[in-house]
Amino acid sequence: MKKISRRDFLAASAAVGAAGVLTACGGSSSSTATSTAASTAASTAAGGKSTDYPTKGISVICPWSAGGGTDSCLRAFCEAMGKNLGVTLTVDNQTGGGGILGHQAIADANTDGYTIGMITFELATYKKLGTSELTWENYAPLCRVNTDAAAITVGAKWAADNGITDLPGFIDYCKAHPGEVQMGGSSNASVWHIAGGYLMSATGIDIQMITYQEGAATAVQNAAGGFIQGVTVSLAEARSFIESGDLICLGVMDEERNPVFPDVPTCKEQGYDITYYTQRGMAAPLGVDDAIMTRLEEACAAAIEDPDFVTFMNNNGQAISYLDAQGYADYLKQAAVDVAAAMDAVGL
Amino acid sequence: MDFSLLLSSYATVWSNPEVLLMTFIGALGGVLLGAIPGMTATMGVALLIPFSFGMDLIPSIGLLLGIYCGGMYGGSISAILIHAPGTPAAAATLLDGYPMCKKGQAGKALSVAMFASFCGGVIGALIMTFLSPLVADMAMNFGPGEMFMLAVFGLSVIVAISGKSVAKGLISAFFGMLLCTVGLDPTNGIPRFITTKQTGLLDGFQFIPTLIGLFAVSEVIAGVERIIRGEEHEQKSNEKITNVLPDWKTIKRIWPNILSGGLIGTFIGAIPGAGGDIAVFVSYGASKSASKHPELYGTGIPNGVAATESANNGCSGGAMIPLLSLGVPGDSVTAILLGAFIMKGITPGPMMYVTELPTVYRVFAALMLANLCMLVVGCLGVRFFAKIVSIEKKMLYPIILVISLLGAFSINKNAFDVGVCVAFGIIGWLMNKYEFPLSPILLALILGPMCEKNFVRYMNIQRGNFFAITTSPIAMVFATVAILVIVYSVYNQSKINKRAAANAAQEKA
Repeated sequence: MKKISRRDFLAASAAVGAAGVLTACGGSSSSTATSTAASTAASTAAGGKSTDYPTKGISVICPWSAGGGTDSCLRAFCEAMGKNLGVTLTVDNQTGGGGILGHQAIADANTDGYTIGMITFELATYKKLGTSELTWENYAPLCRVNTDAAAITVGAKWAADNGITDLPGFIDYCKAHPGEVQMGGSSNASVWHIAGGYLMSATGIDIQMITYQEGAATAVQNAAGGFIQGVTVSLAEARSFIESGDLICLGVMDEERNPVFPDVPTCKEQGYDITYYTQRGMAAPLGVDDAIMTRLEEACAAAIEDPDFVTFMNNNGQAISYLDAQGYADYLKQAAVDVAAAMDAVGL
Repeated sequence: MDFSLLLSSYATVWSNPEVLLMTFIGALGGVLLGAIPGMTATMGVALLIPFSFGMDLIPSIGLLLGIYCGGMYGGSISAILIHAPGTPAAAATLLDGYPMCKKGQAGKALSVAMFASFCGGVIGALIMTFLSPLVADMAMNFGPGEMFMLAVFGLSVIVAISGKSVAKGLISAFFGMLLCTVGLDPTNGIPRFITTKQTGLLDGFQFIPTLIGLFAVSEVIAGVERIIRGEEHEQKSNEKITNVLPDWKTIKRIWPNILSGGLIGTFIGAIPGAGGDIAVFVSYGASKSASKHPELYGTGIPNGVAATESANNGCSGGAMIPLLSLGVPGDSVTAILLGAFIMKGITPGPMMYVTELPTVYRVFAALMLANLCMLVVGCLGVRFFAKIVSIEKKMLYPIILVISLLGAFSINKNAFDVGVCVAFGIIGWLMNKYEFPLSPILLALILGPMCEKNFVRYMNIQRGNFFAITTSPIAMVFATVAILVIVYSVYNQSKINKRAAANAAQEKA
């Protein structure tokens, strides 16, 4: 069975490629043509299933580039959803503008249910930044897939030189040296940059956030090289340098400890009630038929428990934190308010 | 270094039929993908990651490394044949590759590119095998200040790739620098020269559509112009390809370029955030400066092709070093490879050398195998690829145009980028007419953002004290070399111009 699905994946990709050729200049019509061409390949995969939906491959928009955290999580999730739906889900990376272009494409997609996408934390920042009018209200949420908590990680050498061993020690040092400590986030107004602002407003310290447009990896490398004192990125992103001993994590901004790093305490344990995380979830454009939405929600619920997906996420150090469609909608509503407050704190 | 373990790892990897097959398939796919402008090795690798879910680690890594190495060579095919670099890392290959093709030496250019790619790849793989910890330590010492100076050093090559007039080269370069300022600024996200409604330009002019427009589309426009004026001469491929590898005489001529290209590529590839696109220009500039006949560069000599192609394949070995020993990917392909390792439950990083040493050695062996597979695919393909030039021009130009626009579209699936591509095609055509060199624009587009980001970051960290940079030995070395390169290139160029004038006078007499 596995072999068949893999071959179909290739066939569908080939068909998508061909459809791309036909509609290269068509722009908006490309997604429809893509699905039509893929249907030939996908209908064989669907085999005996008699349900109306889906009868052909589904295109899944990823607003971030191939190979990143969102992309890898989404690709694994699509494999799992495909097993339940019996068709191929093809990831389509529509990148640019800090994720705005992809998020826009999901909101504007055809409502036949054959184009869905993954929405991410950054959606909550666009309106406040004034870069786009998009908010969570432009989507029909399907489920939340993953959350990754921010963590306060500092250079081991710097910490040792200044006698810092835990979060209270770090906070005291920052209070004694206001404005001196420099921490790296990811790019401007990204989740990890705002995490730094959140840390400041929650603890009353003053640190300088350095932006890394290239992403968290460069920030982590600079922290390990001693160019900045620390980072406010996720544990997974700082993992290799924490394991090598170049960086130490003082606290993770989560309710519970990360299973991959059972030795790293939460901020809460150390007396600071700070929880802050990024989120990723599946969503469809508004106006998709209810029956189709129900079918997609079922597939999401099944995919989240798929053993291959679970193994993948565990290996990746990414936490699965499922919320169903209603739960996710409530969460997005609340997150919009919380993120706006945190952004005020960083001065964005 | 555990030599017996290294040997046994090689034996395991090279004798496993599944690994051999997968690596070969990867190399084949990589060469084909790389040859299509707009399709990059990054895309290929990302596309095949789910396909490798069900495989063991080493076959899937072999597949991905095959695409990686194949893509690096593949980019040169379209650069040489149709003036459209298939990947950004092949952008400098067309400087000499395309003139070679026009002289009727397409087959020779392809075989030199292939041979240089292979040698560069092997140099990279060898350095990776024996010097990884050393090089990784070096990469860790690159902070914002060092990256800024590295970018400045890269920009110093502009004079060497300017052609006849240094002034025109600098005008091109500054035009490129100005283009970099469009879009959201990288530090604070403030829109420059756009409103936020213009979503197509939020990230500025996209690199690949601009690249394809400047080189491929402009060439198509120029070609159509020649056809209308009746100046186009059909190119007959009477070049006989007796041997798919370059002959001994050529190899003797180009080996210094290959060696230096491989070393430069590996070194620059090992620095996270700097990759093949920078290495090729640095290597080209270096080989031109060191040559006894710098005036021949740009007219179609194999040395120019060898210098660039060895550098971009050297990069693949170089980029693997920080990936394996630090867990920091050196470029976008290795970022995806990092995901592939993690998926299999292995976290690259310093601990990998302690806990997973056999795996590390097998990856070394797989990279070497990937380079060999690329050579085999290349050898099989040279005759076939070289035939493309004998296609009638009236047929060829529309095909190139379609492939180009498609490539521009597919990178972000954004129709706006197609417009960008066409606009730069017209700009490139006009610039060619008035003899402004195009490559400095490209170099500025690659290095401009790197300069700006790291400069602003450095100033932030140092709280405005730029001269703190004098305390960094690495940055100072780059700054000094950059000054020397500029002075020498200007001197070299005046020598070239004098010699050209003397030759012209001689011909007249």
